Amino acid sequence: MKFISILVLSTLIVVFVSPFLTYWMIMVLLGILSFVLKPGKWAAFWGGGLGMGLSWLGQSYYLSASTGSALPAQMADLMQLGSSIYLFIITGVLGFLLGALASLSGALLRNLLKRKPNNIYKGTIY
Amino acid sequence: MKYLGFLLVIALTVLLGYAVSIPLGPLPPTVPLLDPNQGFWQNMLSEDELAEEEINLSNLSEPVQVLYDENLIPHIFASNEEDLYRVQGYVTAKHRLWQMEFQTRAAAGRLAEIVGPVALELDRMTRRKGLAFGAELGLKYLQEKDPELLRLVEAYADGVNQYIEELSDARLPLEYKILDYRPEPWSPYKSLLLLKYMSDMLVGDRDLEYSNLRKILGEELLDKLYPQYPQDLDPVIEAGHSWDFTPVSISRPDSISYPSDAIVIDPLPQPEEGVGSNNWAVAGSKTKNGNPILANDPHLSLNLPSLWYSMQLTTPQHSVKGATLPGALGVISGFNEHIAWGVTNATKDARDWYKITFQDENRKAYKYGEEWRPTQFRVEEIHVKGEPVFLDTVVYTHYGPIVYDRTFRSNRQDVNFALKWTAHEGSNEQKTFVLMNKAKNHGDYNAALDNFTAPAQNFVFASKSGDIAMRIQGKFPLKWEDQGKFFMDGADPKMEWQTYIPNEQNPSTLNPQRAFVSSANQHPVDQSYPYYVFDNSYEHYRNRRLNNRLREMSDITVEHMMALQFDDYYLHAAEALPVMLDLLGDHQSSNDKAKKYLKELKDWDFYADPGQKAPTLFYVWWNKTFNQIWQSWHEFGVPVVTPSNYTTVQLLKNEPEGPVFDSEKTAALETASDHVRKGFDEMLEAMINWENEEGDYAWANYKRTSIQHLVPQFRPFSVQNVFTGGGSGILNATSGRHGASWRMVVELGDEIKAFGIYPGGQSGNPGSKFYKNFITKWANGEYLNFDLRTPGDNGSVLFQTTFKSNP
Repeated sequence: MKFISILVLSTLIVVFVSPFLTYWMIMVLLGILSFVLKPGKWAAFWGGGLGMGLSWLGQSYYLSASTGSALPAQMADLMQLGSSIYLFIITGVLGFLLGALASLSGALLRNLLKRKPNNIYKGTIY
Repeated sequence: MKYLGFLLVIALTVLLGYAVSIPLGPLPPTVPLLDPNQGFWQNMLSEDELAEEEINLSNLSEPVQVLYDENLIPHIFASNEEDLYRVQGYVTAKHRLWQMEFQTRAAAGRLAEIVGPVALELDRMTRRKGLAFGAELGLKYLQEKDPELLRLVEAYADGVNQYIEELSDARLPLEYKILDYRPEPWSPYKSLLLLKYMSDMLVGDRDLEYSNLRKILGEELLDKLYPQYPQDLDPVIEAGHSWDFTPVSISRPDSISYPSDAIVIDPLPQPEEGVGSNNWAVAGSKTKNGNPILANDPHLSLNLPSLWYSMQLTTPQHSVKGATLPGALGVISGFNEHIAWGVTNATKDARDWYKITFQDENRKAYKYGEEWRPTQFRVEEIHVKGEPVFLDTVVYTHYGPIVYDRTFRSNRQDVNFALKWTAHEGSNEQKTFVLMNKAKNHGDYNAALDNFTAPAQNFVFASKSGDIAMRIQGKFPLKWEDQGKFFMDGADPKMEWQTYIPNEQNPSTLNPQRAFVSSANQHPVDQSYPYYVFDNSYEHYRNRRLNNRLREMSDITVEHMMALQFDDYYLHAAEALPVMLDLLGDHQSSNDKAKKYLKELKDWDFYADPGQKAPTLFYVWWNKTFNQIWQSWHEFGVPVVTPSNYTTVQLLKNEPEGPVFDSEKTAALETASDHVRKGFDEMLEAMINWENEEGDYAWANYKRTSIQHLVPQFRPFSVQNVFTGGGSGILNATSGRHGASWRMVVELGDEIKAFGIYPGGQSGNPGSKFYKNFITKWANGEYLNFDLRTPGDNGSVLFQTTFKSNP
């Protein structure tokens, strides 16, 4: 359940807030998101990663399809990648890694601050 | 354990986040380039997809309306000039920021800052030539003598800077993202620097090569092989023009001593062959509608983003349209409601070299007559990407900067040459264009031109009132015969430029009897002009073809003039091929391949159209023969320049048995025929190889016209193998890397009809659909409609933007 929330909310952040912030600020936001929602490690990792990675992949695909620009192929040629498909993949994978690690960091930090049960015996001994 | 896991993950996150933000080796920072919200993906958006209805621009006195037509050509409607140029700066920066910055960086010798040590030599050369020095003097001139114009140049710079300030990462031009740097603020100084960049691109000299040739060949042979005037002289100002002024007198020194040693230094880069232009105007008496028609096509290196950017600039007082140079104010080649004008390069040995004798090692003083004059030191700080700052000390004399010395391109301690160049004098070219944009008649045109110093241009003119005119304008030193043709001794005051030709004595003509004016970089005048005129690079073919056609044409229409700009007639071939075929005789007559090629050559109509095969055969054969003839020139061991194609054809025709064709190395006596035959054999071999490796040898396939991005390594942003005809020395001067960088035809009737095209597109963004959308039309000889627009005219509008000042 937490995974879905993280995935959806990360996607929304990346898509709607990214135009105004640079990528590392987005990473901080994804970290805060996990910190607040307290997902498990895996939910944080995959939720944040897929949120940012799929967003980046989708955004680059959408821009490319809607403009019809030959730029991806030209950039791939310039970077000697052979095909523009690799550019889309690299963009998606980079987004995934940045999102996943940021989100996981937030979750782990929260985990760290989880109040420790300091009295396992319940009750007080006077 | 929990702590360790967290620390590990956070460390990894920060590390990755950081690693993708910095350049990895030669690669730009990864994520700023690949982030779909900021990176290159954003540059796929074209200008119409980013249209804004309203933009806030500070310092405007009234709102300014900008209308973009279907070709993304902005039409700016402002209520005064200051608003107009402020918005011109803003709009130009929006479409061409990277290019205008890159070109001024090149002119300032600051390329190594962004591309690293590979550009260091180039930067040193640029700085030693003193382009920045010239621009500084130009700015000082404006500050002292023309504050009114300076205000306009400042308004333009402010417009550019307001764009740069609000520029988001997403909208940053692609080249900045790839090369990983940011734009700097613009300034009036940079606008002036851009005009120096043009000067540098268009001006050459062969003083070094001539100095060497004078020593090797002797003056007699030198004059024969490099005559001051050709036999078929067809100058810019019509032959037989009468000069109605009393010339300033100049006396040639009695004794002239030239520095005598052969000079082995790398010459300065020269303007490439094929850099030149055509312009002409025909009077109403020669046209179908009775209106003057003006045409202009400057030939320059074919680049993307295109050198030119089209605009209409309108205030209540004037409305002008045509080609602008990103970075400079106003229209450079264009028309308004009253007149049209155009430019071609008017080269005339504007650079001279003086040998400097220093008093001692310290280089603090140099000999001048009987005295020692003090030098000045200018330390050039060249920042190099990834390396420490490079300091280059350039010594300045009263002549100008010492370009060559012991630290630069000279292997001898005692070789010091100072460069004297009109581009180093305070001048006000920008004013010429601001005034010309508003000119209403021939008098205004002349007044505008009086401000123009360098690079000298042939300014063609036509007005609605029926005048046509041509004026060769620049600041020309008044030279005695042969002055400045060779390196001179700077210690001898007699070698100085004594004075300049007064502006009103520069060659010009108004409404000549032949009813047309024209220029194609040929000799400016015939021998009757009272001053010494010399340059190595005068054109011998385009001018004659152009004038022959204009002389015989009548009932001329705009379409005729367009066809003439696209004329592929290869006059050089028409004159040379019959002579070559004659000299070839029956050589190789039993070879089948040779027979096939010869038949193609003999059947040829001398048009270098893209699908023709004969132009390739002629071109290769000619070049092989030419190299055969002047082979020994390359063996002199010092820089020299070979005689022109024209002179070579004359020699082949008139004295095929002459001594120039004989090689001293062989016992046998060689004649022209031997060289032509050897050239033919080499052509045969080369063409067979070509056919085996490349296949079709049609002209367009062979010459491979390409339009290259300003950074040659950015090949995917260039356009290769454009299918189009023409070539160097042909009116349609489109060779492999050079050609018509702008074509314009204007008919000055009651309603002005105008057409223009250039090989590129309005956008400087390689991802935009407006980046290279004109190229196919340009290659086919088609034009875009360039009629003036009024603000209410809403036909085929892409979008409109209103600029408003913040209250």
